[in-house]
Amino acid sequence: MSWLYLGIAVLFEVAVGIAASKAQGFTQLWWTIGTLVSGAIATFFLSLALLTFDVGVGYAIWTSVAGVGIVIVGALFLDQRLDWKKGLGIAVVIGGVIGLQLSGAA
Amino acid sequence: MTTIRADKTQDSVKAGKKAGPWLVLLLAGVFEVGYALSVAGSSGFTTLGWSASAFVFFLLTLFCLSVALKAIDVGIGYAVWAGIGAVGAAVLGPVFFDEVLTPVRAFWLAVIIGGVIWLKLADSPKLQGSSTGA
Repeated sequence: MSWLYLGIAVLFEVAVGIAASKAQGFTQLWWTIGTLVSGAIATFFLSLALLTFDVGVGYAIWTSVAGVGIVIVGALFLDQRLDWKKGLGIAVVIGGVIGLQLSGAA
Repeated sequence: MTTIRADKTQDSVKAGKKAGPWLVLLLAGVFEVGYALSVAGSSGFTTLGWSASAFVFFLLTLFCLSVALKAIDVGIGYAVWAGIGAVGAAVLGPVFFDEVLTPVRAFWLAVIIGGVIWLKLADSPKLQGSSTGA
């Protein structure tokens, strides 16, 4: 269940990242509202995940996988370039999460 | 050579102006650590004190980050902010809660945090511009 909560928290944190970049320093009203609402939902599900995960582990996975999601959404829908550098970063983050899980440290 | 020197002078002038935004960015990172710890302490938002503190830190970190990113490159700014937040949460979690930072766990967390910092830096228009220029 905790991984599901963390996954939902990640999805909404990706929405936060996209909305915040569109809000242009929070001058765009609806993108600003979108940022705050997504942030509230992400925070709530993160808190549910952290009932099980230690904060150091849960927070790191949450923020990093969301970072991966933002880059992927950017490449798929926002016309941003996905080069080898970003690919390497994505691989390292995912490898780290798998390592954390397989080593039993998560 | 002259153009390079001129660029460097401009850069150092910019760097002087950027001291303020960098302090605000560091502050945003500290607030993000406070946010992470508060969210953890709130036990699924069932305790009032931690929940209120999470809410306040959430607004503070968002505000400071947005102010800092007006002057600092977005990719670099996010990298520093995310790095402080994740390292701070990992180091201070055991201080505030019943958590242990084992060597194995610290290693994999370092991999993940290093990965996300790299990822944010790879998203920097400034760094990408300078690397293709070189």
